[in-house]
Amino acid sequence: MSETCVVGKSAPRVDGPAKVSGKSQYGADIDIPGALFLKVLRSKTPHGMVKRIDVAEALKIPGVVRVFTHADVPGENSYGIIVKDQPALTDQVRFRGDALALVAAETEEAAKQALEVIKVEIEELPPLYDVWSAMAEKAQAIHAKGNILTVSRVKKGDAAAALRTAAVVVSRRYTTQRVEHSYIETEAGVAYMDNGILVIKAGTQNPHYDRRDVSRVLGLPMHKVRIIQAATGGGFGGKLDISVQCFLGLAALKLGRPVRMVYDRRESIAATGKRHPFLVEYTSAADREGKLLAVKAKIIGDTGAYASYGPATLNRAAVHATGPYEVPNVDIEALCVYTNNPFSGAMRGFGTPQMAFAAESQMDLLAQELELTPLEIRRRNVLRPGSLTATGQRLDHSVGISATLEAAWEKAGRVMPGLGGEVK
Amino acid sequence: MEKFQLKMKVNGRTVTVAVEPGLRLLDVLRDVLHLTGTKEGCGEGECGACSVILDGELVDSCLVLAPQAHGKEVVTIEGISREGELDALQRAFLTAGAVQCGYCTPGMILAAKALLSRNPNPGRQEIARGISGNLCRCTGYAKIVKAVELAAAELQQKEGAAGV
Amino acid sequence: MKKRGYGIGSMWYGIGSTAATNPSGAFVDFLDDGTAIVMSGCADIGQGSTTVLAQIAAETLGVGLEDVVVITADTGMTPDSGPSSASRQTYISGNAVRLAAEKAREQVIAKAAEMLDLDPGEIRLRDGQVWYEEEPAGKTMIEVIAQCRGEGILTLGHGTFNPATTKLDPATGQGVPYATYAFATQIAEVEVDTETGIVEVKKIVAAHDVGAAVNPQNVEGQIEGGCSMGVGYALLEEVVVDGGEIKNPGLSSYLIPTALDMPEVFPMIVEAQEPSGPYGAKGVGEPALVPTAAAIANAVADALGIRLYDLPLTPERIVAAIKAAASSQHE
Repeated sequence: MSETCVVGKSAPRVDGPAKVSGKSQYGADIDIPGALFLKVLRSKTPHGMVKRIDVAEALKIPGVVRVFTHADVPGENSYGIIVKDQPALTDQVRFRGDALALVAAETEEAAKQALEVIKVEIEELPPLYDVWSAMAEKAQAIHAKGNILTVSRVKKGDAAAALRTAAVVVSRRYTTQRVEHSYIETEAGVAYMDNGILVIKAGTQNPHYDRRDVSRVLGLPMHKVRIIQAATGGGFGGKLDISVQCFLGLAALKLGRPVRMVYDRRESIAATGKRHPFLVEYTSAADREGKLLAVKAKIIGDTGAYASYGPATLNRAAVHATGPYEVPNVDIEALCVYTNNPFSGAMRGFGTPQMAFAAESQMDLLAQELELTPLEIRRRNVLRPGSLTATGQRLDHSVGISATLEAAWEKAGRVMPGLGGEVK
Repeated sequence: MEKFQLKMKVNGRTVTVAVEPGLRLLDVLRDVLHLTGTKEGCGEGECGACSVILDGELVDSCLVLAPQAHGKEVVTIEGISREGELDALQRAFLTAGAVQCGYCTPGMILAAKALLSRNPNPGRQEIARGISGNLCRCTGYAKIVKAVELAAAELQQKEGAAGV
Repeated sequence: MKKRGYGIGSMWYGIGSTAATNPSGAFVDFLDDGTAIVMSGCADIGQGSTTVLAQIAAETLGVGLEDVVVITADTGMTPDSGPSSASRQTYISGNAVRLAAEKAREQVIAKAAEMLDLDPGEIRLRDGQVWYEEEPAGKTMIEVIAQCRGEGILTLGHGTFNPATTKLDPATGQGVPYATYAFATQIAEVEVDTETGIVEVKKIVAAHDVGAAVNPQNVEGQIEGGCSMGVGYALLEEVVVDGGEIKNPGLSSYLIPTALDMPEVFPMIVEAQEPSGPYGAKGVGEPALVPTAAAIANAVADALGIRLYDLPLTPERIVAAIKAAASSQHE
């Protein structure tokens, strides 16, 4: 490859000057004169059917212009990047945070007051808070197709046979926690009608997906919806889902007035996706020389009330379950399960940080059993050009795992004096 | 409710506005004066995105009520560049690669500015302490600390040159 | 007592959506004065994609970075570039921009070849000049573009890229889920206070194979930021849910790392060039975080001689594990 002039250089960010001078316009910064403020009434009940929403008192508050409920959604009242299972405004509550009503008011204060006086009657259903009760045979289905949303399998060779004969077998159970993205900017945006086109400016990681689901929910043709990404204060996967977009679009479309909304931190945490908590039962086997013979794992991820990126997270977890090692016999099963918890979706790594914790712990445990160093057991197993992955993919080029292992080890030897010769 | 006549100096200019006394300084800056470089991240004084300098002290403007700023001098991110020329800290943030999503950046720069005005030659640990009330989720802080070091060095050099 | 330990975490990460089509499109308009506008649907959420796409376009067109403006993430103006997820934008949208810029460039090269009566295969564009066999050929790019436009040829380019993947067999998961993978190894040094259970991460070495770094400073920034999120994941962060309700819905109760929580991070860029990537690039956004908690957990196990199997490694869990180990020794 010939030498490059611009690529490979640490050019300063093109959006840097606007950001250091405070001029970048994030969703909450867009000045839109005459805009109505929007606020969402969210469910405090975890599971149930909405029987009645009474907005009469709310409409009497000076400044309140309109209150929308599920009955006002003009298109298909469901969105989702993979499964269209999440209503914009719901008549069936599945977690403490589901959107029941949307208030449009002249001031933020009036909108907040309106939330206090909307009366909602919900016929409660028994909530399911853990994956085991959700997977039980007679469990109440949170969505029509049942609570086990997807099962991903990766199978290669004969893991059972390898486990029976291997010199060393290590089996452990791991759990990981639910995590919040904690981008410093909460969800925010504005919307207005421009010559018959609905324009939504909001922080997002995927404007073209937003257009698809806004158009679906509002019953508009796609070319009549224009999504413009506002400067976005971090995402990490959490701004891949719809958040404010459908609310903004619904109100601007129905009222013909510009609208704006900003989630406060509490709402941002309560109403948007999280990193999936995982439960992983992991068994690894190696021969006397420390060569991996088999990996068997069962992974269960709690996706909460809605699918969001859950199926992709569990599928990626299954595909990456072995870690960056060549393993001849693999048997992985990953389940994505609905519960009545806050929903989980995409977060930086899509299930692989969870699996790295389990897989890398297993590598050290195997090393301990075999009296090898953690470095050595990895050296003996890392993927190399020509290796076959767990899904049977042959890696031909750009397989830098060995290079990263050696580079990190060499550097650590220099900057971590206590490391001595080898990691124990 | 009776309005409060708030008079304060913002970025060198005196402003007088009638506001609800319960309004936060953050809201006055953003909604009344349209200085949206000051951001809201948490509304409870944890993230520092709303940091401004009030009479020389770094404060979370979400925790300051409008009357508390009466008669005082406020510096926001919009006030630290002069005639369109970026401040040494702003330039250092660009050079060091200390900006990613940029949402914490205005508050972070003001925290650094307040630090350098107290301590023109801080060590890394002092810089880390100086910006520890400002959360950043993108950078891991390393390049922010580097940027503050760069700006401090530049300011020191200038001061040295001016002294000669 | 304070105990020190070291741990390795390695990882692999498939670039792009798993076993699914996930294309990206881009337009390039190479203008009369030798500057260019790039249109890409790619949303920059702070990771720096707009800068990276500008660099790829400038490199491909043979102009300076200041000569390129990138319009992004506006469905009224830009083509669909898919999500800013799965660490895919440098590889996939970078390729779309490269291809679009190549299309625009080809037209300029063809016209230059015609004007100079040279073999187009030997012509390069660089620094605003037309080059032939490593020498300026006597025409500027502006002159050539003006000639194109004068003849009614608009120097526009459109590019799309979709990584080469297959579906996975539903029963066995066999197939090609990704066109390429990023790899990384991180090594963490920790100090564990056996009385309080507090873990202090002292240093992290983070070596990442990104294919090729389009912008090394950006790559380092991703790695440092990923390590910080990984420290939070390993030690601090948990959304506490009880009865379906989040008990810590604020930044005063949900703690993320501050500048004082961060160890010194040594980012290292390893470049195992990816032939199908733009200028050899793969990606780094998510890999930066993926092995950090694993490395820290292994370091804590090394320090204590006791392993914990549940994240996060809170002081309470560590103290409990030390006590449990001590009492089982007595039995």
